Amino acid sequence: MEPDSQKIEQYRIRLRSKVSYHLGKFCPDIEDVVQETLTRFLCALRQEKILNPEKTGAFLSGICNNVIQEYRRRLWRESKADAQWSGSKSPSTSESEMLELRDAVAAALAQMGERDCQVLRAFYLQEKEKEEICQSASLTDGQFRVTLFRAKDRFRKIYRQQLKQAASAGH
Amino acid sequence: MQYHQDPLQREQLIRNYLLKRLDAGAQEAFESHYLVCQECFEELGASELLVSGLAETGVDQRRLEDVLVLQFSGPAQLTRDSLGLKSLLQGMLAQKDTKVLIDLGRVSRIDSAGLGLLLRCYSHAVHHQGMLKLLNPNAEVERLLRLTRLDEVLETYHDEQQALESFPK
Repeated sequence: MEPDSQKIEQYRIRLRSKVSYHLGKFCPDIEDVVQETLTRFLCALRQEKILNPEKTGAFLSGICNNVIQEYRRRLWRESKADAQWSGSKSPSTSESEMLELRDAVAAALAQMGERDCQVLRAFYLQEKEKEEICQSASLTDGQFRVTLFRAKDRFRKIYRQQLKQAASAGH
Repeated sequence: MQYHQDPLQREQLIRNYLLKRLDAGAQEAFESHYLVCQECFEELGASELLVSGLAETGVDQRRLEDVLVLQFSGPAQLTRDSLGLKSLLQGMLAQKDTKVLIDLGRVSRIDSAGLGLLLRCYSHAVHHQGMLKLLNPNAEVERLLRLTRLDEVLETYHDEQQALESFPK
């Protein structure tokens, strides 16, 4: 059964994230790779190639991996260097949206205390384990989790807002 | 892996995914999952924003003898979409100093854009009849410098005093 348009848009947004992860956010062909993946996915659905609906994610991811590989091979054949990816095509997020997003991120960080930021930096950037951070910052397991998930809560709201804006702007 | 069992465990997985520390199997499994799970996809997006915000940091400047030392004020990443890039470039281009040492001790990651920026800083220094050298790159940054043979252009040191003494008086 073919998914409704809302579902397809959800897949599109999530695929965009996966493709950006592998090809870099500033790759100008992200949308093309996503579209090609979706086209092949819908075609497979129509031909009833997905036998186990619980494996839909793995199936979609597999198609996406193939499209990314083909894209890379094509780039290699055409001898396009990484540096040329920041070319004329627009990236999926506009400059003004990026600035707006940065402001929102900066404002959210400013609302958090310096100590919280240090804990989060230790976890996310310095890749320290929870036990090590708790020991050095004299935090209990509960306090560490509160710090982490309070921050996540703020950023989840910003991210949802970003998703809404992207959906209403049609990218 | 059960992604919904322990939020902290999931967060560690997301962190490792964002820092590209997962092996191919774990990475593929997580991608297959978030493509069909709105909750995990939102968590990934929120963490990505949080990490990008935390990685934004300013550049401190200090002068040792006649050498300008540029150093990030906190943990930083020199990647295409990080503000650390812009901060460093602004700090560098605003200078007329001819002897500049960039302390990379707090830089955990660098990509092609970051390497390009270092070259731009180098060109700027050379254009002003100056010199630019690097201090304290971590193993990963040093490996990339070697791989791209930029280490042949950008002198790298692990001892500040030694680096300062290498500049001509």
